[in-house]
Amino acid sequence: MTMTRRDVLLGATAAAALLPLAARAQTSEVVIGATYPLSGSGAQVGVDAQRAFETAIDIINNDQDFELPLAKGVGLPGLGGAKIRIVYADTQGDPQKGRAEAERLITQEKVCAILGSYQSAVAVTISQICERYQIPFMSADNSSPSLHRRGLKYYFRASPHDEMFSAGMFDFLDAMKKKGAKAQTLALFHEDTIFGTDSANAQTKLATERGYKIVADIKYRANSPSLSAEVQQLKAANADVLMPSSYTTDGILLVKTMAELGYKPNAIVAQAAGFSEKALYDAVGDKLEGAITRGSFSLDLAAKRPMVGKINDLFKAKSGKDLNDNTSRQFMAMIIMADAINRAKSTDGEKIRDALAATEMPGDQTIMPWKRVKFDESGQNNDADPVLLQYVGGKFVTVFPSQAAVADAIWPMK
Amino acid sequence: MTAETIIQSLASGLLMGLLYGLIAVGLALIFGLMDVVNFAHGEFLMLAMYVTFFLFTFFAIDPLLSAPLAAAALFVLGAAVYLLIVRFAMRAKANVGMVQIFATFGLAIVMRGLAQLFFTADYRSVPNSWLGGKTVSVAGIYLPQPQLFGALVAIAAFGGLYLFINRTDFGRALEATREDPGAVALVGIDKNRVFALGWGLGGALVGLAGAIMATFFYIYPDVGASFALIAYVTVALGGFGSVFGAFAGGIVVGLVEATTALILPPSLKSVGIYAVYLLVVFIRPRGLFGSM
Repeated sequence: MTMTRRDVLLGATAAAALLPLAARAQTSEVVIGATYPLSGSGAQVGVDAQRAFETAIDIINNDQDFELPLAKGVGLPGLGGAKIRIVYADTQGDPQKGRAEAERLITQEKVCAILGSYQSAVAVTISQICERYQIPFMSADNSSPSLHRRGLKYYFRASPHDEMFSAGMFDFLDAMKKKGAKAQTLALFHEDTIFGTDSANAQTKLATERGYKIVADIKYRANSPSLSAEVQQLKAANADVLMPSSYTTDGILLVKTMAELGYKPNAIVAQAAGFSEKALYDAVGDKLEGAITRGSFSLDLAAKRPMVGKINDLFKAKSGKDLNDNTSRQFMAMIIMADAINRAKSTDGEKIRDALAATEMPGDQTIMPWKRVKFDESGQNNDADPVLLQYVGGKFVTVFPSQAAVADAIWPMK
Repeated sequence: MTAETIIQSLASGLLMGLLYGLIAVGLALIFGLMDVVNFAHGEFLMLAMYVTFFLFTFFAIDPLLSAPLAAAALFVLGAAVYLLIVRFAMRAKANVGMVQIFATFGLAIVMRGLAQLFFTADYRSVPNSWLGGKTVSVAGIYLPQPQLFGALVAIAAFGGLYLFINRTDFGRALEATREDPGAVALVGIDKNRVFALGWGLGGALVGLAGAIMATFFYIYPDVGASFALIAYVTVALGGFGSVFGAFAGGIVVGLVEATTALILPPSLKSVGIYAVYLLVVFIRPRGLFGSM
């Protein structure tokens, strides 16, 4: 049989048509959703989160030499080397928009899992939608303790919640008191959404249990144009320790207003959020020498675990910033979720959920100071130890707990 | 509650209130002139803050010196917005009110989006200006210099505006156009020119406010939203279209906000503002100094 030009052409066309199909069957992709505020007052965190997820996906999808799950080799071996693709949705920091966007991700974009969402108030609605569609939701950076106490089957959180963080803060205060530091009276300063409220509730409970005196408990309206009345009350109370639970905007205004009204707190022990953000220290860092914030991450760890420094470099190349409390947890959430999907060998929501529930990741395979990642039946990881960081000379130094500390806390702050 | 706390609250409230007035007066001016509410007013403020920030960051011009530049930039923006957008929105055949609302509202969203695209969502601030972080302390009462300066600028701006409207030809043209845009054409006044200058002036005033705000407030694409809301309340309280009303309204809002925070939990401090606002709307719907 002779081959005509037409046969060749036909064959080539057929092959060309089939090629992408075949390729697609081999390296299918896994779609994960990420719901973050990409506009509105929390947009900066959302934009940074995108860089954190991209860093994690780079490590998963390409062959990298790190002691992280899925770093070596290409893609997810459990799914024939499938690569991860992320789809972002903008919540604008609004619980109702978060709900609608989560539903769109699940029904239109066919995501098999969702990560989110910075504001705890938004995580409430997103996780409810995920529960209804049986799609796992992982809180990368939400810290309200009420989130994992709603009996949801598809809710997971690898990082500590505010009660664990607050307990860590009070352990630190106890230790300081034992050393003879002045830390008996507290002033709580918190914003009025679920994050600030839950944080203040946890702190009030712990303060009562451990015999501290709360001399001021100020709940303020988030994104206020002015905080001078609030700061006056803080100043009048003049507590030994000021404990703010504030997002970046209010945190900047708080520190500026304190300086303007001539109030110099004895010590600040902050519930992270704004107080882990570079933007806040860029704006008012000169007034925060010695401020302490709780955290779930510290770059100090790079000295003990070189991988942390290298991953920070990868992230910095994308974002121009160092990994912080939020971006490190977002990075880990993607790694943990990808690891579960890989073990589930499926993109089915229920199978991923079961794989997540069976997660057992040793701490040294993460970039965090955690013991390990293992979820209890409510989806919370109880082996994530918080650290306390002090802002000294333009960077953070771990000061507590003693096994992670690289320096003693400077008290009172200067 | 000591006398010191009360005096400090009232002083802070008064300073903030004068600034609220300065932010709101551009809105009142434009509304008084042509019955158009500029829903992008907060975004004008945001842009003025960024202008100040960039002049400081790239050319090391202190906000005190760049305030006239920010005002000039916003003057151009205001006039351009009238000539390119509002002028056409007002030609709508039906629902003129709706069309102009959506036109300026859309402009607000576009400006916010562009700001995030070009300036990123990062929070900025002018770290060490001449006044930033400095405070005057009188008998235990602290008056932050940026706000003190802002209050002086606000008073000067209102004084200047008063003289401008009442003593100059252009001011009289402004007033005449506002009373009867049709009739002024007969005496040779170009309505579009007056309106464009009115928008420019409104922009320049909020530009001035933005430059002062930049010395003590953080800057990001959405920063205008919370101030715009207060500006609307200020204008409605003082009387729509009344320049003096915006001045008085600002002071009332500042003082009410400060005193509410003394009595109620601070998270409820805006309740006081809206309560007073409702009261005024019920008893005197045209606002404290409104003339319509």
